Amino acid sequence: MKKTHNYTCINCPLSCALELTEENGEVLEVKGADCKVGQKYAREEFENPRRVVSTTVRVEGGALPLLPVVSAAPIPKALVRDAVRMLSKLTVNAPVADGQVIYPDILGTGVDIIASRPLP
Amino acid sequence: MAYVNGQRPLPSRAGLVVVGGGVIGCSIAREATRFISDVVVIEKESDVACGTSKANNAEVHSGIGEDAGTLKQKLNVRGNQLYDEFVRGLGVELKRQGLLIVITQRTIPRDGGMPEEERMELLTRKIPEGIVAYGENAGIKGLRILTRDEVFRMEPNVTREAVAGVFDPTYGLISPYKLTIALAEHAVINGAKVFLNTEVTGFRVEGGAVRAVITDRGEIETPMVVNAAGVFADEVADMAGAGGFVIHPRKGATLLFDRQVTAEYVRSSVAEFRLPGQRTTQSKGGGAMPTAEGNLQLGPTAIETDDKYDTSISAEEIEEIFERFHYLLPDFPRDALISAFSGVRAPTLEEDFVIGASEAVRGFVNVAGIQSPGLASAPAIAEMVLGILHELGLSREPRPDFDPVRPAPPKFSELSNVERNRLIREDPRWGNVICRCETVTEMEVVNAVHSIIPATNMDAVKRRTRTGMGRCQGGFCHNRVAAILARELGIPVTEVTKDGEGSPVFLGVAKEFLGGAAR
Amino acid sequence: MSAIRRPQCVVIGAGPAGLGAALAAREAGLSDVMLMERDFELGGILPQCIHDGFGSIVFDQVLTGPQYAQRFIERVEKAGIEVKLNTMVLEMRGDRRITAVNPRDGVFELEPASIVLSMGCRERTRHQVMIPGYRPAGVICAGAAQRDINIEGLMPGRRVVILGSGDIGLIMARRFTLEGAEVEGVYEIMDHPGGLTRNVVQCLHDYDIPLHLSHTVTFIHGRKRVEAVTVARVDEALRPIKETERRVPCDALVLSVGLIPENELSKQAGVELDPLTAGPVVDERMHTSVDGIFACGNVVSVFDLVDWVTQTAETAGRGAAEYVLEAGRRKRKPPVRVTAGRNVKFVVPQLLREFDREIDLFFRVEHPERAARTRVLVDGEELYSRKAKMVRPPEMIKAGADPGGARKVEDITVEVVGDEEEA
Repeated sequence: MKKTHNYTCINCPLSCALELTEENGEVLEVKGADCKVGQKYAREEFENPRRVVSTTVRVEGGALPLLPVVSAAPIPKALVRDAVRMLSKLTVNAPVADGQVIYPDILGTGVDIIASRPLP
Repeated sequence: MAYVNGQRPLPSRAGLVVVGGGVIGCSIAREATRFISDVVVIEKESDVACGTSKANNAEVHSGIGEDAGTLKQKLNVRGNQLYDEFVRGLGVELKRQGLLIVITQRTIPRDGGMPEEERMELLTRKIPEGIVAYGENAGIKGLRILTRDEVFRMEPNVTREAVAGVFDPTYGLISPYKLTIALAEHAVINGAKVFLNTEVTGFRVEGGAVRAVITDRGEIETPMVVNAAGVFADEVADMAGAGGFVIHPRKGATLLFDRQVTAEYVRSSVAEFRLPGQRTTQSKGGGAMPTAEGNLQLGPTAIETDDKYDTSISAEEIEEIFERFHYLLPDFPRDALISAFSGVRAPTLEEDFVIGASEAVRGFVNVAGIQSPGLASAPAIAEMVLGILHELGLSREPRPDFDPVRPAPPKFSELSNVERNRLIREDPRWGNVICRCETVTEMEVVNAVHSIIPATNMDAVKRRTRTGMGRCQGGFCHNRVAAILARELGIPVTEVTKDGEGSPVFLGVAKEFLGGAAR
Repeated sequence: MSAIRRPQCVVIGAGPAGLGAALAAREAGLSDVMLMERDFELGGILPQCIHDGFGSIVFDQVLTGPQYAQRFIERVEKAGIEVKLNTMVLEMRGDRRITAVNPRDGVFELEPASIVLSMGCRERTRHQVMIPGYRPAGVICAGAAQRDINIEGLMPGRRVVILGSGDIGLIMARRFTLEGAEVEGVYEIMDHPGGLTRNVVQCLHDYDIPLHLSHTVTFIHGRKRVEAVTVARVDEALRPIKETERRVPCDALVLSVGLIPENELSKQAGVELDPLTAGPVVDERMHTSVDGIFACGNVVSVFDLVDWVTQTAETAGRGAAEYVLEAGRRKRKPPVRVTAGRNVKFVVPQLLREFDREIDLFFRVEHPERAARTRVLVDGEELYSRKAKMVRPPEMIKAGADPGGARKVEDITVEVVGDEEEA
């Protein structure tokens, strides 16, 4: 069965409204893109949308109560909320070095969660 | 510390109980401590000056705007004359910068059919002379007629439509909440006790005389009660069976501007003269005036409301104020608006003050219907009420141990650099600027929390120190003030409130809403 | 008070602008550079911007705010720049006398040979957009909420309405959601979002947060704490339509309604401000109207990208260093005003004094335009030209001009033209 999905291209201020048509997961057509970048973006958003996750985790004994953390690479979009929820249970001990791995291989994605600043 | 907060029990008896910790209640309490020490003030909010006293225009009127023969006018004129003596030793500044009453072309519209010569004669001579004669008759001194040129020399930003003016030099400004706090603290220094977060629920009346005040924290036996409960004065009087008047609340909104932009915009207060028929509301018309702290304010409006807690401001009111003052001050920088506030006034149906001993309940004194010019009249109201209390049996003997001075805490922004460094050497917290718009240091916040009438929430700190009152309205300092409050009060920061119960600043700690354990 | 110190350069504010300017001044040959910051650490607003999206121009890499800041902080620490934290400047005069205070040094005065202003900006508040209603707890600006949540670890709301779809508002919609709060919706008075499309998609669409365009908040309910807001659709003149009013229960109203450069100190010193940018009028070296006082970053004009803040900071820092090292030997030349041509609202810098090097020109357009071309004309000669598929007023655009050796200028114009129009 054919299905359409709508996306807004984020690659330039034109913000093209993209319409992707697929059948059983196979992309048939992308309409509305002003350029090839938009075509590619719609496919990625349909086939494997990924996002960088950033949040905070609690710190014991630090100069601040929270440590900002970020995924070292984008992870599947569908896992973002679960990743943040998982990290919300975590408490790390100060001091923390910039880039220190805080949670390796989050949700089996192969992507590490790292400290996004040093915290003495 | 002499002050007793809600944590401590009420005293079982007192020589005088004042209901209401506004400027009127605190004035009366302070004056009473000149004669007796066991005075108790009961206030239901978390701080003094939480009702009308915190949201008015800080004006010490001369009385020129009041109707001849009213109690209001009499007490206003007298109050103004007593003011300097009244605030001596309190550490609160009264600025008598004067009021400029501007007579404009629209005072008598051109198209009214009057010959032009006659019209100008009225506008430039007869009306100003009439204003001066009216004021002098009420006992106001120093009124002066100004020509059009003199008006502009005094206030260059006033409309070119001005034709003449009257300058009233006795008019002044004073911070109403700083005055109220100072009066309350001065009363406490002299033996009074102020109970916050304490609500009067009834009175014990026996044999036609008041015997005790009943509150949600217990009962205080007393032979004398002053009802200075502001917008709630009718309800409080009815609890004792000493009522018979109705307060119909009326709210007044005021716009407040960045003082860096508007400090020089008007020097005195400026009001437009309107003939009696031209007033559209009960407001005297308001004006453009610096606050006691130098911000310019425009207002107030006057809008009847059913709700004694209605301190909201409507879009229409904001527009009304701008429209009204656009005529008087055409080039006014409206972009410099930083805040707007609204206060509920407490007029009676008669629109005059209701001050007197109850005939039904001996020992019960009503001080009600105190709307503008209540702040200006406060010293005279206190004087009059003390007279009544003396009649009722309060000692007439001045206390030899009355301390005339209430020490005011230092304000960093007002000190010289030498004084600042002396304080910083004593305690480095004097060098930690918390509020950058108003240059308020950590030590001033700490001092406010531990003052005689302690500040226990954000607004109370703000009234004492000006934190959050500047152009960023607390954007940069709210979390720092909250952290100091939490630390000094020994409570979690999530329990810090804006202005008492039900107004938490934060609703939780990070991760709490996700089920993560609270810190 | 001890003898007055005379550093070669004092930088006021250690956000991205101040960090960049102090480093540039140091690297351009000044040995005595002092960096003043009122917070307890360096970085300004960056440490609270924990999301990614910084640095794509300066570092060709996508970083979070703290990561972007850290790259500069490490260099500042190694460069031998004197850093004064917890320090508030109380006064700055036109003769460059600065009075400042901190808990350790007390009140102290400085007479630097040059000053760089990098105080950044502040948020517009509810009263500046005149939202009627009560004044309860729970009305907060988006940047303040960001600091509460990301630095202090405190939640200013649990059921949130956001007014304004600028980037901070969008970012905070996602942040509140990820922290377990509920964002009822984002309301925007204009008919288009104020922030980048990327943020509309990744902060709102990803989390099914509705964006209500052409809507505003007309009343704040709740005497003690926010209980609800009234929202309404607006007409073409942006006036609320009474019949469309709707009450939305919430416990916080978060405002993202604009930023204002913080120029209170600049005004004290008599620095000329541009009413269009609300920041100092500067020349190609980011030199203000007051001799020896330079300015950069959001205090000059609110930039969208931190990368551009950094670029103006480098120009200002270098400019300050040259000014000091040349010690008055160079006379300030009379300026040429940079003309904002077709579909250009304003240009930073506003002035050009010496066209002796490649210069950056930042500008905003007046109205959206498709298939546009930006160009810079110097005395009629096109020195810069670049195509853009789309230009929009919320986005600062950067152009440049390279004289290829010092040259005299009588007229310089930045303009946006239709792509098919040829010069």
